[in-house]
Amino acid sequence: MPNLLLALQPQNKNIMIRLFLKIILPLFLLAGGLQSCVNLKYVNNFASSSLKSVKNFEEIGYSFKQNCLENCQQKKINDMTLNSQDCDCKANEKADSVTLLIYNAVKGYLDGLTSISGNNLTNYKMDILTRSLSEGDLKSIKIEKNHVEAYSGISNILLKAFTNKYRKNKIKVYIKAANEPFKILINFLDFNLSANLTGKLNVQKQEIKDYYFDLIKDNTLSTFEKRKAVEEYYQRSDNINARQKTLTTYSKELEKIAGGHQKLVDNIQKLNKDDIKEQLTQYASDIQDLVSEFNKITK
Amino acid sequence: MATLTSQQANELANYFLAMAEAVGDYRYQNFDSLSAQENKEIKDSLEFIRKCANELFTLSATLVLDDAQNSLSAIKEVTNQMKSTYKTLQDVQKAINMAASIVTLGKAILGKNPQQIADATGKLADCWNATKK
Repeated sequence: MPNLLLALQPQNKNIMIRLFLKIILPLFLLAGGLQSCVNLKYVNNFASSSLKSVKNFEEIGYSFKQNCLENCQQKKINDMTLNSQDCDCKANEKADSVTLLIYNAVKGYLDGLTSISGNNLTNYKMDILTRSLSEGDLKSIKIEKNHVEAYSGISNILLKAFTNKYRKNKIKVYIKAANEPFKILINFLDFNLSANLTGKLNVQKQEIKDYYFDLIKDNTLSTFEKRKAVEEYYQRSDNINARQKTLTTYSKELEKIAGGHQKLVDNIQKLNKDDIKEQLTQYASDIQDLVSEFNKITK
Repeated sequence: MATLTSQQANELANYFLAMAEAVGDYRYQNFDSLSAQENKEIKDSLEFIRKCANELFTLSATLVLDDAQNSLSAIKEVTNQMKSTYKTLQDVQKAINMAASIVTLGKAILGKNPQQIADATGKLADCWNATKK
């Protein structure tokens, strides 16, 4: 480029410099800026889908405490007592608070990842600066509006390219540092819901089966009453199964999120490659499908 | 004495659950041949076994906190760093706004217009306050 400029006449050289400054340089920078956006778009899609999915925790509508209250009420029914004393569910409340603590940590991390990978974060509004530079009468200083707009445009592209590179580097560091604890916490959240809370529901299933079994075997009840008892048993049994299905679906979502995060970490150095983009898109899509499945069950 | 982990508590809970299921099935299958007293004793045992299972599942859920403590601290640290980066990137916009306000004030001073100076000073003060948020 410099040799070519030397060969040109002074007026042509000026035109070339202007052309370079106003068109070619911004195009280069724009290309760089867009490249950064595209890379982070897949990270952002995955993070926002995961965040939406994790938030389904709030839609589960069942807890350790609720399980405790139901068991307590069933015991009162078994014993035929009208004891209005509160049920002791302190241990279950603690189990809920531990689960909530883990959920909040996972949600907080995904929320942060979604925020810093979002493209709108670095869409800076330069118009306010452009306006303040070009408006008003300074008499001695004359700033042409089109020059202000051109330089402001270049500044914006430069700023965007710089900040996108900055946050891309930061994201790489964060997701690597977070990967192991994130997977462990996802695992514990899943464990508390699909192993412990589901386990308590299995105990409850056995208890109600026992209760209705005794009703059916009770010779003082009529056939009609026994049939009503059987009907009630199936209704309650279905309710428990539906709760367990909700927990199982949520568990699948968590598993998918942990897998997607691992994939992100494994391929963080080659985010430009099409296959990783496809894989991350696939993870985001699978998570969305599971969210829809979850919503169908809980509605 | 070694402490129980959340995983071990869950495994124990599942053993109790399986035992309760086996005893329960025995009661269903032999109900007609059991005396009222035998039936009551089995029911009482079942109630106790299930109570153990239930409490072990709850205990397992609370023990998770001990096992997850290091991971919780680590993820909290990363989350705080991300918040800080997010704020830094947002501050760029605040800096742009601040620069615009300073330019407006400078132009008002050069233009020697008292009303414009007052307005620009007010805007600059607003921008300054916004950077503190």
